Amino acid sequence: MPDLSPGLATLKTVIDAASPLTNDSWEAFSAIWRPFSAKRKEILTVAGERERYLYFALEGVQRIYYFDDQSREATLVFTYAPSFGGVIDALMLSSPSRYFYETLTPSVFLRASITDLQPLIETRPDVANLIRLGVTSALSGVLERLVELQTFSAEDRFKQLLRRSPHILQLVPHKYLANYLGIDATNFSKFINRMKI
Amino acid sequence: MATIQHYELIEQLENRIERHLEEAIHSLQNLPEKVLLQPAPNGGWSIAQCLEHLNTYGDYYLPQIKSGLENAQKSSPSTPFQSSWLGAYFIKMMEPETGKKKYKAFKGHIPAPDLDAYATVARFIQQQEELLSYVKQAKSVNLNNIRIPISITRLIRLKLGDVFQFIIAHDERHLQQAFRHFSTSR
Repeated sequence: MPDLSPGLATLKTVIDAASPLTNDSWEAFSAIWRPFSAKRKEILTVAGERERYLYFALEGVQRIYYFDDQSREATLVFTYAPSFGGVIDALMLSSPSRYFYETLTPSVFLRASITDLQPLIETRPDVANLIRLGVTSALSGVLERLVELQTFSAEDRFKQLLRRSPHILQLVPHKYLANYLGIDATNFSKFINRMKI
Repeated sequence: MATIQHYELIEQLENRIERHLEEAIHSLQNLPEKVLLQPAPNGGWSIAQCLEHLNTYGDYYLPQIKSGLENAQKSSPSTPFQSSWLGAYFIKMMEPETGKKKYKAFKGHIPAPDLDAYATVARFIQQQEELLSYVKQAKSVNLNNIRIPISITRLIRLKLGDVFQFIIAHDERHLQQAFRHFSTSR
């Protein structure tokens, strides 16, 4: 049994900064997380299937993406440590996921099964509040990104990505970043070539 | 020939592809175009040419491996892998540690100098991801049974386990060449 405590300590730091739990609730909440790890390019959630877990990334980069039968692909969200991951809408709505969740680098997580999480949300107001806050922040992030996609130039979107995640160019193949930003590969390369290294 | 446990070979292959991907993602894809296209100090291949050379092999082997895997029967992954005599010979010749000799590139695998540098790096990364996905799929097949015709002559067919090792050794060889060049070009 791997030692959970360093991961749980990270989880607690993140939660304390957002919406701290009572000791009692933390004890119950922290007991539902299990260690999980995956190598590069492992699909954790398949489109069409339920999302069974809430993930908390401790290492690595992951993405949520759309992919259809016409091979249309859209990288929607990157997740990396320390943050929550998984296809949250499918998880909360208990509906089939419309998206895939996959690792882009070798990754280490804690994850909690929705069947363990749901009873805590229903019986503990502070846990419910924490989850509501988490989902709302995720919504904020999505709305902000919509603004950028609809109003920013390609170059400004590129710069904004680097401001937010300075190391991502060294961690993720550029094709995923270009897809996320809605920039074609040739233009993305031009931005790279102009950068000072 | 020595045998190796199936899971152990898969693990080794995955780890080596992982390292190659990390090198390409961490540094090669972020280099300026000028550095990627600059010929080696001895007049040899540029970094982009090293990768393009590997891409031409990927173009041949990846579809072969894909169809080999598609036509394979699922098997218990417990059968240990044993290289054929010829497979072991080719791998040893290609591994940078055991094959110090230089070879001339075969026709069809000689890279042009005027490459689209970033597209070449991107294609290399794409091919490494594809190779990795085939190694993952190979977890549930017998690596001794699938045979892949080699690029220089379709008359010779090597075991998939040998083909994986050969390709990865070849990748390693030319990535080392690219990085040797990179360290002297700055």
